[in-house]
Amino acid sequence: MHVRRVSTVIASSLLFVAGCSNSGVKAAPAQPAADPSIQISTSHCGEGWAHPAAGSQTLSITNTGTTTADADVIGVPGGAVYGELEGVAPGVTRSLPITLGQGTYAIRCQPEDGALIVGPSVRVAGSAKSGPAAVPVTYNDLYGPTREYQDYVAGGVKTLLARTKTLVAAVDRKDLKAAKKAWLPAHLAYEKLGAAYDTFGDFGDAIDGLPQGLPKGVHDPDFAGFHRVEYGLWHGESAASLRSPADRLLKDVKGLKADLPNEDMEPGDLPLRAHEIMENTLQFELTEKADQGSGTSLATASANLDGTRQAVEVLRPLLKSRYTGLSQMDADLDRVQKLLDAQKHGDSWTSVAGLGTSDRESIDGAVGELLERLAPIASICYPRRTS
Amino acid sequence: MSGYDRRMFLRGALATGIAGSVAGVAAGKAVAETSTTPEAGAPPIPPFHGPHQAGILAPARRRTIVAAFDVMADGRDDLADLLQTLTDRARALTSGGIPEQVGITAPSSDSGILGPDIPGGDLMLTVGVGASLFDDRYGLASRKPSRLTRMPTFPNDDLDPAWCHGDLSLQLEADDDDTLLHALRDIAKHTRGGMQVRWRMNGFSNPPRPTGTQRNLLGFKDGIANPDATKAAEMDRRVWASGKAPEPAWTAGGSYLVVRLIRMLVEFWDRVGLDEQEKMFGRAKDTGAPLDGAHEQDAPQYQNDPEGLVIPLDSHIRRANPRTPQTDDSRILRRGFNYDRGMDSVGNLDVGLIFTCYQQDLQRQFEATQKRLADEPLVDYISPFGGGYFFALPGVQDSSRSFGGFLKV
Repeated sequence: MHVRRVSTVIASSLLFVAGCSNSGVKAAPAQPAADPSIQISTSHCGEGWAHPAAGSQTLSITNTGTTTADADVIGVPGGAVYGELEGVAPGVTRSLPITLGQGTYAIRCQPEDGALIVGPSVRVAGSAKSGPAAVPVTYNDLYGPTREYQDYVAGGVKTLLARTKTLVAAVDRKDLKAAKKAWLPAHLAYEKLGAAYDTFGDFGDAIDGLPQGLPKGVHDPDFAGFHRVEYGLWHGESAASLRSPADRLLKDVKGLKADLPNEDMEPGDLPLRAHEIMENTLQFELTEKADQGSGTSLATASANLDGTRQAVEVLRPLLKSRYTGLSQMDADLDRVQKLLDAQKHGDSWTSVAGLGTSDRESIDGAVGELLERLAPIASICYPRRTS
Repeated sequence: MSGYDRRMFLRGALATGIAGSVAGVAAGKAVAETSTTPEAGAPPIPPFHGPHQAGILAPARRRTIVAAFDVMADGRDDLADLLQTLTDRARALTSGGIPEQVGITAPSSDSGILGPDIPGGDLMLTVGVGASLFDDRYGLASRKPSRLTRMPTFPNDDLDPAWCHGDLSLQLEADDDDTLLHALRDIAKHTRGGMQVRWRMNGFSNPPRPTGTQRNLLGFKDGIANPDATKAAEMDRRVWASGKAPEPAWTAGGSYLVVRLIRMLVEFWDRVGLDEQEKMFGRAKDTGAPLDGAHEQDAPQYQNDPEGLVIPLDSHIRRANPRTPQTDDSRILRRGFNYDRGMDSVGNLDVGLIFTCYQQDLQRQFEATQKRLADEPLVDYISPFGGGYFFALPGVQDSSRSFGGFLKV
């Protein structure tokens, strides 16, 4: 497991250079794109787009410069991006499938280590409708939301620590009935943090690791954390024998809390988190793969939904003007919430195995559809340079 | 006492089943019968007899069955009988011909699903042995291929014991499913008392879309940078066991086989942006070209991209094959197929890759590559759940020999 990679775009303070800002707007007839190749480079950005055409087409983009560059097709004015190519090496030609409607466009070139350049504006005539576009989100845009999210995580970790102490104290005084009762609230405090695909690195494995991938499975010495304690509590392990994994869990939760101020969350991670938390839920909770005996996967799913909502909330200001599916996504969040809530009975939850076919299908379907609505957030909010 | 009867192998008249097991017949038939091959111009399947098993270097067919068996043979003589039976069936099934007629003495010797005259030259079959065959059951410890071990659990694996390992491996390849099923059904019929299928996966290869190397179910061309199987010297260096110490001499002409059953989490993958997908692989999805190239066969120029700005340092192709002199001897010969086994419990497609590769040395090649790939970004979208390590036996040279040759030396 690892932290899903995000772009290493460097926030640049380099000046926006309107390379050819005074070039005239070219009118062009609507005809299939027949241009041999459009250049991207510091000195020839956008040159070669001689016959801009409406409709679905594939642009051919060649980096004629000396450094690796990204290329965007942007709307003029406004700067909404209709299509992009990342990391085009010098001398390389790549194709960019795109749908353009009537309007004015330009190529924006982004050499890895240099200023952005906008090529000459071109006008596309005709009545075709363009493909969807969005104004890029920048690193700067993401700093605020990321800080907000980190504050949420920091608050959640305090709750996590307090509840973990309750759990471990119960094990220490050999009250396994109380430990079983304390396990779920503590675990859910962790699951609400929205840790997916090893967000917290080694702490993630230590606190919430699964036996899968360990040579000796549930008996592996590296199997640790909440699920290790869960396995013991629900498999008749003695309090004496559970003490060590419980103490280890507490130590790791303290470690996470102490480490948190040093861990600057990569702003590009946040948009990924928006769908990855529930991807993780679908893969490990709704399959009941993560369950080690407590049968609380649906409680975990509900906590994961809370974490997802948090990620979405902090990004909402950026999404409002960019994501047309936002209200449908909200409806899907509520739909999943309602379906999960229905499986909560006081302090206990229906296990996934205990779900009837229709309930199980409803939850799986609603989560799946929610994921389809969450996934665009990662694409829309992927940090991009605009200056 | 033995709960197992060697006659269960149905040797003798019945077992002969399909007549016409001479290599020449098989070769002749191959040319005549492959006209139905869907992919025009697919090369004929090589004959069964030869220094190497045919299914290692020959181009992959459209369909496969990969299976592992647990052997229950009672002692080494029974094991020898089992391997003789397996050889006889392999020879007969690859050659084709009219099945043995048994009159009123027994039910038909053949299932009949390929018609009354079994087409020859439509089937490839590759047999391997697992490390467990060399445990104390048959007294074979001293004959074990020196590098053969049980497949370990790698980080990010989620191995299901029911889908791992086995005493014997069998890969069948053909262009049609009925050919494969006919063969598996026939082999199982003749070997029931001696071995049982431990796990089995059906697979398929994809036609080029639109050209070149086939795409995997993540939509990327896969297997582009394979070593050239037509170069004998290269195969000697990378694929074939030499039979020189520390290897037992009998291993010459065989090859180590790794099978990995790898689920692909395609729904999750489909919710990942194209740029991110391409960076994970290091190739363009449309053309298969490395991100610094234009065509799928272009070699990536890592020396011009030391920081990984174009092809990220942790991309699949860069980790798998860094193309340095130091890593050159870890290259493997891949022979992958896709699988599709329905849906999982949450309504997602249960599909993925039957990764198979051949090499001279498991540790030097597959494991070194696997170590470089540990924690690559792609691991979140795949889940290895089965497979095993095997040693694909040397070829059966002629009609007087069998897969059991290593028992006699």
